[in-house]
Amino acid sequence: MNFSHFIFRRTLMVIPLLVGVVFLTFMLVRVGGLDPVGLLAGPTATAEEFKMIREELGLDQPLWKQFVIYAQNVIRGDLGESWLSNRPVLDDIMARSLISLELLFWGIGIGTLIGVPMGLRAAFRPNGRFDQTTRILSLLGFSIPTYWLGLVMLFVFFYLLRWAPPGMGRISLMISPPDFITGSYLIDSLLTADWRAAHSALAHLILPVICLAIVSAAPIIKQTRAIALEVIASDSVRYARACGLQTRTVRSIVFKNSATPIITFVGTEITGLVGTMSLIEYVFAWGGLGQYGLNAIVRGDFTAVQGYVLTLALFSVLVFLVVDIIIAIIEPRVDLS
Amino acid sequence: MNLLSVQDLQTHFIFRDIDHQLREAKALNKVNLTLNSGQVLGIVGETGAGKSLTAQSICGLLRPPAKIVGGSVTFQGRELLTLSEDEINTIRGAEIAMVVQNPRSSLDPLTQIGAQLVRLHQTHTGGPLAGSRKKALDMMQAVGIPDPEGRFTAWPHELSGGMAQRVLIAMALINEPKLLIADEPTTGLDVTVQAQILDLLNELVARFDMGCMIITHDLGIVAHYCDQVAVMFAGEIVEQGPTREVFLTPAHPYTQQLLAATPERLQLGVKSQLGGQPPDLFNLPTGCLSQDRCTLATEKCGAPPPLIEISKGHLARCHFVKPAEKGRSKSNE
Repeated sequence: MNFSHFIFRRTLMVIPLLVGVVFLTFMLVRVGGLDPVGLLAGPTATAEEFKMIREELGLDQPLWKQFVIYAQNVIRGDLGESWLSNRPVLDDIMARSLISLELLFWGIGIGTLIGVPMGLRAAFRPNGRFDQTTRILSLLGFSIPTYWLGLVMLFVFFYLLRWAPPGMGRISLMISPPDFITGSYLIDSLLTADWRAAHSALAHLILPVICLAIVSAAPIIKQTRAIALEVIASDSVRYARACGLQTRTVRSIVFKNSATPIITFVGTEITGLVGTMSLIEYVFAWGGLGQYGLNAIVRGDFTAVQGYVLTLALFSVLVFLVVDIIIAIIEPRVDLS
Repeated sequence: MNLLSVQDLQTHFIFRDIDHQLREAKALNKVNLTLNSGQVLGIVGETGAGKSLTAQSICGLLRPPAKIVGGSVTFQGRELLTLSEDEINTIRGAEIAMVVQNPRSSLDPLTQIGAQLVRLHQTHTGGPLAGSRKKALDMMQAVGIPDPEGRFTAWPHELSGGMAQRVLIAMALINEPKLLIADEPTTGLDVTVQAQILDLLNELVARFDMGCMIITHDLGIVAHYCDQVAVMFAGEIVEQGPTREVFLTPAHPYTQQLLAATPERLQLGVKSQLGGQPPDLFNLPTGCLSQDRCTLATEKCGAPPPLIEISKGHLARCHFVKPAEKGRSKSNE
């Protein structure tokens, strides 16, 4: 009945999800048409060499046995080795996840901070001038392809105006990055009081973060507006008006009652944006997980692809776990048992 | 001076349809009502007659595309229709309180009921928080909520429909209003709970000397609880008068048909004459609005019917109604 119990049981529910995820990841790559043996052996390999590599990779085993081996390795934290980087996939992913998380955090954070108030304000005066402007803006945000937005921003703010640094990574090549504390160059350089590095890290962050914020804000505006309009039309808000509560109070009731569906939507947005982010990372040479995954897919690095997909799925599961816990905190109607 | 006086109130729905044609549904046409302190007025009529819309228009609760296009509403001598949103907010919930249908979904689901009562009292009456809390507990006691202290921290979803309706009544009365508007207060409640709620309302109206308007389509409720009754048809009050008189000697043909259509009378073998549909609000007939359904209708019904006072306080809007001779209405009582 109590809260920690609820969290514990909700967390336990993650386990069957993860088993499913591992299975799907395994099957996805198996049926995906990647032939690791061919890629590894190269064009001049003999049939003998092919057979040897097959056996070495365990691909001569029946499928179910391959899955058991794979699952056992995953549980042990062994995701295999990437043949592009020749390093354990897990190490690659760990290093790059933090890099991507920084971008995702600022992007979705700013996108939410812009999108939710704009959506609410549009809903408070439907068809007003603000609503109409927002509608056009969010339509633009919806329709502009992400990578194109990134390229145009680089063209304008780097090439034409010289306001922004080139889209080549997270910090200027001339500056040595700060020591590793949190994995975010900006925060780490601030913590170590390295102002030059902080300035450069911030400058490199701005354009990709704006890109991501625009891409994430557009649907959040639209969804928030729709959710808030529904709440405004609900019995409880109509009754609040009939009680003569001040406009300010009525609006706070609208906001509170919209919070649960908005948070759920932002949760799904975050998981969706992880995919979108690959393209932004690519354009800005960010070097994060998205770029790593995209690279692995293009080059057929199948252990890395497996690791990438698995990480994204795990991330989604975690995001929804957090969303559920937040909703359980703010929503008295959630049955904790 | 009447507590509430509604004169020629007209509310229309004005909007553009899918072809961008401007359309106007004349939902309220010349609503005339009066209500005094200590009186209970029942408003009856079929679905779509404009009962709830009348209440919403009085309280300024309309949302586009509904719009008041004419008439006046005076409450304690004060014109309500010209007030700004902030001004009417000081009257709604304070001097004019509403009890609505669907009590469970009308309470704010994210606020405990005690806090909702306190918030409402603070908004209109103010004073120290402890005072509001005391008042909230008193009101919960007054409307018959068992264990007010315990229920103070209950969430709306934890209440039954009847209990939630009691909370709404407590909310309506906490600022000691002069006028209570109950819009179908018992729809969706069990019959036994219905009676409890209505008895409670009746008792509290008498105790606090309020005017009360009960919107319903249940003629039984009107017969039981209302001193006055107003019959609505197609956005018009076709007859208003003391309940007993209207029920015993209905003057307007529509009222006669409506009364004849109650299940009790149908059981007695009276054949219902209430056929047909209400008129199209986009395209109202000129003259009497009920002429298409009326068995008496003649050519003179094409002219607007006059509002005729049959006896003191009993009015009907019909060409065929005649003022009663002196003494006759008395003998009917």
